[in-house]
Amino acid sequence: MLALLRIIKYALQDIWRNISLSFMTVFILVLMLLSVNTLWSLDVLTKEAVGLVKKQVDVSFYFYAGANPKDVAEIKKYLGSFPEVVSVAVQSPEDVLKSFKERHKDESDVENALTELGENPFGPTLTVKTKEPKDYQKIMTAMNVPEYKNLIEKRSFENHEAAIERLQNIINRIEKIVLGLTAMFAIISFLIIFNTIRVAINTQRVEISIKRLVGASNWFIRGPYIVESFLFTCLSVAATVFLVFFALQYLDPYLAAVLPAGSSLTNYYNSHIFVLFGVQTTAVLLLTIASSVLAMRKQLKV
Amino acid sequence: MITISGVTKIYPTGTPALRNVNLHINAGDFVSIVGQSGTGKSTLVKLMIAEEKPSKGTIDIGGWDITRIRRGDVPFFRRQIGVVFQDYKLLPKKTAYENIAFALEVAGETYRRIHKIIPQVLDIVGLSHKHNSYPFQLSGGEQQRIAIARSLVHRPKIIVADEPTGNLDAINAAEIVSILKKINEFGTTVLLVTHNREIVNHLRRRVITLHGGEIVNDEQEGKYRL
Repeated sequence: MLALLRIIKYALQDIWRNISLSFMTVFILVLMLLSVNTLWSLDVLTKEAVGLVKKQVDVSFYFYAGANPKDVAEIKKYLGSFPEVVSVAVQSPEDVLKSFKERHKDESDVENALTELGENPFGPTLTVKTKEPKDYQKIMTAMNVPEYKNLIEKRSFENHEAAIERLQNIINRIEKIVLGLTAMFAIISFLIIFNTIRVAINTQRVEISIKRLVGASNWFIRGPYIVESFLFTCLSVAATVFLVFFALQYLDPYLAAVLPAGSSLTNYYNSHIFVLFGVQTTAVLLLTIASSVLAMRKQLKV
Repeated sequence: MITISGVTKIYPTGTPALRNVNLHINAGDFVSIVGQSGTGKSTLVKLMIAEEKPSKGTIDIGGWDITRIRRGDVPFFRRQIGVVFQDYKLLPKKTAYENIAFALEVAGETYRRIHKIIPQVLDIVGLSHKHNSYPFQLSGGEQQRIAIARSLVHRPKIIVADEPTGNLDAINAAEIVSILKKINEFGTTVLLVTHNREIVNHLRRRVITLHGGEIVNDEQEGKYRL
């Protein structure tokens, strides 16, 4: 217990008496954590934005006027059985006509044409939503069988096909870029932190050898550096939490456009705070302790 | 107290630093080890504080066979011998008091005992008034006296002083030697490694001369002869 208290005392003394180096170490750690959080936020935003776009994409099948409601109900049931399908909605010919009239209420020509026809020219419409944009191709193929194909007058997918394909490509690329950036950043962060701590320990190599020569055990020498690593980690994570939430206050209004209604990055951080910063604390702590132990190995051989 | 039997030290470069050294030092002796630069004096000190291991032979210090000492036991062994270096080896970011206290703290001494011992050793070296000074605020002689005070805190049976006067002027060097003599009078064995002719001749104690890694002269009341 006495040894532990002394180790903590030495750690605090070292931090205070090497205040500029301590500050630089914490500063580098904060920069690294801010970059990690920026990358993290970018990933969250990309996923949210893509999710939002995905929700707005659907495929509609417009049946011929007079299509048998039984056939439409059968197709609805059939499509609903696909695991990829999220929802299948049917609009009756009356509803289609109603919404058509609503859309063209100020156009007297359209109104006159409908009156001249005397009957509802629309058939029912079936709107399908899938989990992933790539799943629409499967729905299209399923609907290409002759018994269904002949009932359908028009399908909206052709209009979306190119956009969906492009969206899918963008999603795939963004995911790859974010993964690559994360991997690259993890390596850069490790090298920066390892070198920062190695420089800090190298400046104290004479002191370490003196401590060995006056009879300090390896743990008595290593201990303060481990305690320092712990304190640097806590300080840097606390500073990062403060800076992230401070920045989110200003960023959230701008991000509202790409996020679904009611959600914000602040909400995301609030609901994931323990996981997010717990993972970051553990990673930084392991990184700093491993760097200290590795950097000290040579000096402890005296 | 100290028995060195057939010790040879060859560094990885192939340079032999010591060749078949045999030596016995009794408890309470004051022994000077002299020789030109590169004759193996510092290697002998490094072997005696377990900083290096001999290539051949055995070294027994106060009952510790340090040729077979385990790495984990080295700190415990070092707490039992006092070592004084030419470059003082004080921790630059600790005050004189903290430097001395550190040697006691690593050994697990209580604060009460530390507060009792440090004024005593500072008194022996005559620096009680400088306990709050950092090494850079002390002269070379004062720094060396703090290093001696630190080496005394465990009441060691042996003090190894490796060129303790090497960086000091004549007056400070004489003061350091006088402190070492005082320590020897209390019964502590002192091993002084030096190439200061005046000090050795003035001491009139046992002198061991090294040349080319071998002991070429060992006189009970010797003089500095190369």
